[in-house]
Amino acid sequence: MMETFLYLIAEGFKNLWREKLSVFASIFAISIAMSFVVFGGITGQDFSRIIKVARSQYELQVFFSPVISDSEASRHVDEIIKIRGVKSANLVTKQEAAEIFEREFGENLFDLLRENPLPSSCVVKFDENVKKKFDVHPIVNQIKMIKDVEEVRYQGRLITIIERYYQGFFTIVTGIFVIILFGTMILIFNTIRLTIYSRRDLIRALKLVGATNRFVRFPFMVEGMIEGFIAAMLAGSFAYGFIRVSNYFLAVFTRYKIHWDWQVMWQFVGLMVLFSLIASRQAVRKFLK
Amino acid sequence: MIWFDNVTCTFVKGAGLFDATFEIEKGEFVFVIGPTGAGKTILLKLVYMEIFPEKGKVVVDKYNSSKIKQRQIPLLRRKVGMVFQEFELLSDRNVFENIALPLRVRGEKKREIKSKVYHVLDELDISNKASHYPSELSGGEQQIVSLARAIVKDPIVILADEPTGNLDPVSSFKILTLLEQINKEGTAVIMASHNYNLIKDRGHRFIEVVDGRVSG
Repeated sequence: MMETFLYLIAEGFKNLWREKLSVFASIFAISIAMSFVVFGGITGQDFSRIIKVARSQYELQVFFSPVISDSEASRHVDEIIKIRGVKSANLVTKQEAAEIFEREFGENLFDLLRENPLPSSCVVKFDENVKKKFDVHPIVNQIKMIKDVEEVRYQGRLITIIERYYQGFFTIVTGIFVIILFGTMILIFNTIRLTIYSRRDLIRALKLVGATNRFVRFPFMVEGMIEGFIAAMLAGSFAYGFIRVSNYFLAVFTRYKIHWDWQVMWQFVGLMVLFSLIASRQAVRKFLK
Repeated sequence: MIWFDNVTCTFVKGAGLFDATFEIEKGEFVFVIGPTGAGKTILLKLVYMEIFPEKGKVVVDKYNSSKIKQRQIPLLRRKVGMVFQEFELLSDRNVFENIALPLRVRGEKKREIKSKVYHVLDELDISNKASHYPSELSGGEQQIVSLARAIVKDPIVILADEPTGNLDPVSSFKILTLLEQINKEGTAVIMASHNYNLIKDRGHRFIEVVDGRVSG
């Protein structure tokens, strides 16, 4: 059993060599197409990291009515923390507000007015690990419904623009990824079909000597998987080159640098092998009756 | 061992085999003769169940064409050795690998494969050709390799479809002698041929196929 399995695996490798020209052409075409996917994936991952940093900077300030005490404000802050999408809410007491005022303007409010007219407030930060589009408005609306909240200040327009661009980028990269992946599957499917056609003498000989369908099909599936793996590794190398070149040019204009992510690379290789297996399996099922 | 029971199997324009009924015993040597296009190849294809009868049934060993399941066909073919006019050898594998193919399909161990292949190579006197590729062999030698591939799996019957069709008279005679030698060891042989001069006076049974009708 084990010897047969190893023999079939070896046959898969040998088939690659026997059909080296068409296999090379196919692997090259696939790897060029897939390198864009890896490049997009790595850049997307890097962009997501930047978005995360940006999201961690998003904050809004909630001002409570000046007539409520700090303890009442603290209770409202507890309510705000419970809102979905809120990471933290820190109370700024009337006293702390006066100290901030003094730090920024150099004047003591008690000296000027004999009282502290500043309201207590809180600074709200958001959960930056949101997978989908981040929308601040539902959170703001919920905060506004809390009793004694007088004003909510935030950079709504800026957040909306950042999120819109991020979503656009994400959608385009996903779209390209799906199209190229589909194209890759067709390429592998077609390569296996051509291989089956060119190996029809072997298939006939195998069937005549009593090979089961599984025995005949297995090497072709191995071949497809290896093709996918080699193409993925090549695509990764190309993408690595793109990124190095991109970083070289980016360094001229910005301090931004695309970071190479090995995790994304290995996930991609795994995905490619899986899709190659599916494509070759479909091809042998269709063309090897 | 092989039984054709009122078998009809047609191709386009009425060509094929019609109402064929005959039996071939274990260890028998049978020549299937007839002109080109008479239905000899169809008869052989029915035995290894590449095609199936529209009417009647073909029984080979315990396999019945009307009951056999798709997954049982490879098991039947492991018991049937085949030799073709065009040799059907794999050009990218050497003689050893070509002969070893049926044993690999059966999942035999490397050591067993080596021993069986070399035994057959010795028997057919082509041990010195083990590492040669088909393109490096003469037609006669290629057919001997094809024969070696057929017998290495120890079949119950060898089907030879015009095995001497592409060979010179000397090679043809050698192949026929080898088939007879194999038959003497107990393997049935069914050899289709239209070279009557070669096969007459060999003392074996004849089945004649003319226009799809079987006699003999």
